[in-house]
Amino acid sequence: MLSKPLLKASVKLNYIVFIIIVAVLMMYLPIIISMYNPETQDSLNEMLKALPPEMVAAMGFGEIGGGLLSFIGSYFYGFLILLLPMIYAIVVANRSIASHVDKGSMAYLLSTPNTRLKIARTQAFFLIVTVTLLIAIVTMIGIALSSVLYPGELDVSGFLLLNAGVLLLYYALTGIGFFASCFFNDTKNSLAVGAGLPVAFLVLQMISNTGKETEFLRYFTIYTLFSPKNIINGENFIISFLALAVIAIVAFTSSLYAFHKRDLPL
Amino acid sequence: MSIIEINGLTKDYGNHKGIFNLTFQVNKGEVFGYLGPNGAGKTTTIRHLMGFLTPDQGKATVLGMDCRTKNAEIMKQLGYLPGEISFFDGMNGMEFLKFMSEMRGMTDTTYRDKLVELFQLDFRGRIRKMSKGMKQKLGIICAFMHDPQVLILDEPTSGLDPLMQKIFTDLVLEEKAKGKTILMSSHSFEEIEKTCDRVGIIRSGNLVAVEDIHNLKEKRRKTYVITFDSPATAKAFAATDHHDKITVNGPVAKVSILGNVSGFIQSLSKYTVLDLDTESSNLEDIFMQYYGNSDQQKESKGGHKNA
Repeated sequence: MLSKPLLKASVKLNYIVFIIIVAVLMMYLPIIISMYNPETQDSLNEMLKALPPEMVAAMGFGEIGGGLLSFIGSYFYGFLILLLPMIYAIVVANRSIASHVDKGSMAYLLSTPNTRLKIARTQAFFLIVTVTLLIAIVTMIGIALSSVLYPGELDVSGFLLLNAGVLLLYYALTGIGFFASCFFNDTKNSLAVGAGLPVAFLVLQMISNTGKETEFLRYFTIYTLFSPKNIINGENFIISFLALAVIAIVAFTSSLYAFHKRDLPL
Repeated sequence: MSIIEINGLTKDYGNHKGIFNLTFQVNKGEVFGYLGPNGAGKTTTIRHLMGFLTPDQGKATVLGMDCRTKNAEIMKQLGYLPGEISFFDGMNGMEFLKFMSEMRGMTDTTYRDKLVELFQLDFRGRIRKMSKGMKQKLGIICAFMHDPQVLILDEPTSGLDPLMQKIFTDLVLEEKAKGKTILMSSHSFEEIEKTCDRVGIIRSGNLVAVEDIHNLKEKRRKTYVITFDSPATAKAFAATDHHDKITVNGPVAKVSILGNVSGFIQSLSKYTVLDLDTESSNLEDIFMQYYGNSDQQKESKGGHKNA
């Protein structure tokens, strides 16, 4: 099913990016959680009011409800979680297939008794597992920090649901990046789509947050399918979850198909 | 028994680029030289054999298996040296060889170690920092190390120094003696004449000839460059008839001779010769010698190509 040596090589090639992204996330998460204080939350809201409301909204910091979950939900899951793992997904998805085709090292991989499907499956597996690991680390550290700093304050099941949503979002984003990686011959085009699309989605998301006139843009970005507020409040998030899952499945299967069928310029 | 079979293979990239209706076989135990100028379609043919490309028409098989659909099965018994060498970033030479062994499920590394020693590969350095020749050696070892039945080598000696070229030639002859089937591409006749049994010549995507190497060598004209003491001497020599073709430029004469050269040497002894040199005939010359006329017709038919 999978090629163990290739998996090992992918780990070796990508572990540094993984560590950097985890490190940056682990720098922000404790700061944000430690900022939570039920008594001073009003004053934090006061402070946010001093900033231009459009900017606050663009970062997804608006409408903070009560409780630790909502606090983390808007400050960490409103923006940072959308940006940092995205960088990982973009870099690693591009490296998984397109950069091997672009550089020509794919010729060596395919001169071994491994089918294209097996190579692509292995790389997809690596992407999915590491992205899952990334979100799992954030989830576990988040729960651990909260229970140390504010015992009993965090709605753990709500937090898990929030992270399940993030995970599905990342399966979909990684799927798009992987498809670009499998479909294009060179890194340039693979990145143009694999990175350009998620970044464009993020920008659209930020603009659509800022006001009524731009709100329609939310229909053009995948990030609309991940709404921390809806998940926390338990409002019709199931459809969004399903949509993300479908995008992910379609993206990954069509990636495998595209790579299996196409001509390779090696 | 033919090990590699190419039958009506066509891949049209438009604008007269690609390969058109290629048909040839490489038999067991044979070294087949695949000769053509740059951009003639050698690498495109090899990409089909490796299963990287789907042909528009026709079929390529290795060991009776379709190259596009059964490529993983074929690779168990095939060694490949790509024309463009690029490896994995960040690995050193030995790590790369180990990685490739694992990808192939190889357990026996004695032959690999023997090759590393033979080519005096310094495998400690990072591949990225290696010279072209060093990378080429690494690629050659990688192609041969699992002792495959079939070898496909795309311009194997490019970047190698003469000593390493000699080692490579010996290796190919040794493998041939073991009954291996080898297809190697090249753009120079000299490079393959020492090892090949048969030669296929490709030009602008069309296979123009498949010839036994002995026939080719016999029919081959050699060119000598002679420097006489004066233009007058050169002219006087040109008036004799001990040559097939002569061009005189001042005191320097370029002489082409087919076959026996004893008459040429005898007549030359009557003149004052300052320098005598042989010119290695390039592929284009050889090509023009054997197929010149028919090819020119073809060229004029396809003349709008460069328009």
